[in-house]
Amino acid sequence: MAAEICREEAAKSMPAAAAGATAIARRRRRVEGFRFAAGSLEPPQEDADAGVARCGKRQRVAGARAGAGAATAGPCRPSAGAEFGSRWWPRYGVTSVFGRRREMEDAVSIRPDFLRGSTSSGKHHFFGVFDGHGCSHVARMCQDRMHELVVDAYKKAVSGKEAAAAAPAWKDVMEKGFARMDDEATIWAKSRTGGEPACRCELQTPARCDHVGSTAVVAVVGPNRVVVANSGDSRAVLCRAGVPVPLSVDHKPDRPDELERIKAAGGRVIYWDGARVLGVLAMSRAIGDGYLKPYVTSEPEVTVTERADDDECLILASDGLWDVVTNEMACEVVRACFRSNGPPSPPGCSRPKAVLPPPAGASGGGGGDAVVKGVDKAESDKACADAALLLAKLAIARRSADNVSVVVVDLRRPVP
Amino acid sequence: MPCIPASSPGIPHQHQHQHHRALAGVGMAVGCAAEAAVAAAGVAGTRCGAHDGEVPMEVARHHEHAEPGSGRCCSAVVQHVAAPAAAVWSVVRRFDQPQAYKRFVRSCALLAGDGGVGTLREVRVVSGLPAASSRERLEILDDESHVLSFRVVGGEHRLKNYLSVTTVHPSPSAPTAATVVVESYVVDVPPGNTPEDTRVFVDTIVKCNLQSLAKTAEKLAAGARAAGS
Repeated sequence: MAAEICREEAAKSMPAAAAGATAIARRRRRVEGFRFAAGSLEPPQEDADAGVARCGKRQRVAGARAGAGAATAGPCRPSAGAEFGSRWWPRYGVTSVFGRRREMEDAVSIRPDFLRGSTSSGKHHFFGVFDGHGCSHVARMCQDRMHELVVDAYKKAVSGKEAAAAAPAWKDVMEKGFARMDDEATIWAKSRTGGEPACRCELQTPARCDHVGSTAVVAVVGPNRVVVANSGDSRAVLCRAGVPVPLSVDHKPDRPDELERIKAAGGRVIYWDGARVLGVLAMSRAIGDGYLKPYVTSEPEVTVTERADDDECLILASDGLWDVVTNEMACEVVRACFRSNGPPSPPGCSRPKAVLPPPAGASGGGGGDAVVKGVDKAESDKACADAALLLAKLAIARRSADNVSVVVVDLRRPVP
Repeated sequence: MPCIPASSPGIPHQHQHQHHRALAGVGMAVGCAAEAAVAAAGVAGTRCGAHDGEVPMEVARHHEHAEPGSGRCCSAVVQHVAAPAAAVWSVVRRFDQPQAYKRFVRSCALLAGDGGVGTLREVRVVSGLPAASSRERLEILDDESHVLSFRVVGGEHRLKNYLSVTTVHPSPSAPTAATVVVESYVVDVPPGNTPEDTRVFVDTIVKCNLQSLAKTAEKLAAGARAAGS
């Protein structure tokens, strides 16, 4: 099920500048025909895959409406004080749109409190954007498994260790998680035999699928820090006091250090409709793409950033957004949506709810939305949903040639 | 075609001797010395000798072509397959079903013909590659000699005047159980790129496809043996 924002609601809440961008989008006939993927919600008590169209499903939604993430959680607990750590639930919004591609090969994974049960202190939330190429199955595997592999690596890393080791441990955790994810993609490509084909490329090339891959930009938002691991050309940007702070650097083949690494490995970067590894792939790191290893590696670059009082939001998105929208503009769009929705609500016993009832027939709907508490909380979630939707529309208006997936996470400190 | 072939890194203009046993399953490609020859000799219309020593003698004549000349380049990729030639050929010859062994194919539609010489196909390419589609005409389909050739006549890609020849013949060392596949091509060098760039790109795709062919044919042959037991 998805929370949908009706046209009137979206228009009403958008400030003038944002409305202007929307007006531009509306004036282009093509934009109205683009398909926005509705979010999906798994049964209650399970984590949600938000905002992504399933392989093979095509959903046409009116231009002004979009899927926004919705989530479900365990029991609501009271919390004390205004510390970051007391926040129970992440505030986020997510949108995925086809853009001008005929296939949806992006996948988004949002796993609130995904380290629960481990020895972590405070809640940690997992956000991942995966932009597939060649087919969608590697991105979908990342969507299903990456958070689990990171949990496994985390538990191994912190067992018997002091919490003080968290910062260096996160780099190791992410590297191990990504390496295992890459292994799983490779094993899958080699071991498929008979049975039900899982995706389109397998129907056509049953022997092997190692020409398929995906970017992976993953953020773990904890009470005190934001950890980002990136492999490929999706991107994570922090907005701090109105200034964008990149938490990842795109892995383009002509990035000087990537170019040197590829050459040292015996590969070449050729300009063939842009810089490409062996003239074929336009990114220098990815999950999968076995045929281009070792030139295209899955090893992530990891950043660990301490949270600060003036942090505003975190934006994770595929290059369908970043190719046509600057970090500065993306931050400004989110700030505008935040301003129009007011400050974040104080911490408390609330979970986000759908702004509108799910559309009839949506699978998995119901339970997660049953509890409606903290209207303010819903409003702040709406701010993130508005921001994600508006960014996606802006990308389409600027003629992005790719799928666009956007996750916006509210990092603002609640007013006590 | 491989809709988007590439050439191999690291061995431009070098002839290497093939050690069949040690290199089984490895696709090797050789660069074209013709560019240097043209510069040095200024001879036109001469047979290209770039593949001599690499392409097996049994099929060398099928892979001969005129000296590419300025603005063109050529290459040949050799793939060893642990399957009988008949099994390999049965996959290669399906011009209407490139997805049976080629990667990077999203779909294939026949625009004319039914699989025989003159058949025209439109191949749509998967995402992530610097091409969207390729329109290809079947020029040769020789079931006696196991030779297939096609020409790229259109599509959204940068490979102009691409002509490919693929041969399938029994491996001399194990004629009933192993096969040597050779795919050679000649193509224009796109504006802004070098012949070496073009070979790296095309050979990468061709190798990827021939490795996939090997796996597909080996699986096919294994299935046939199992059925025969």
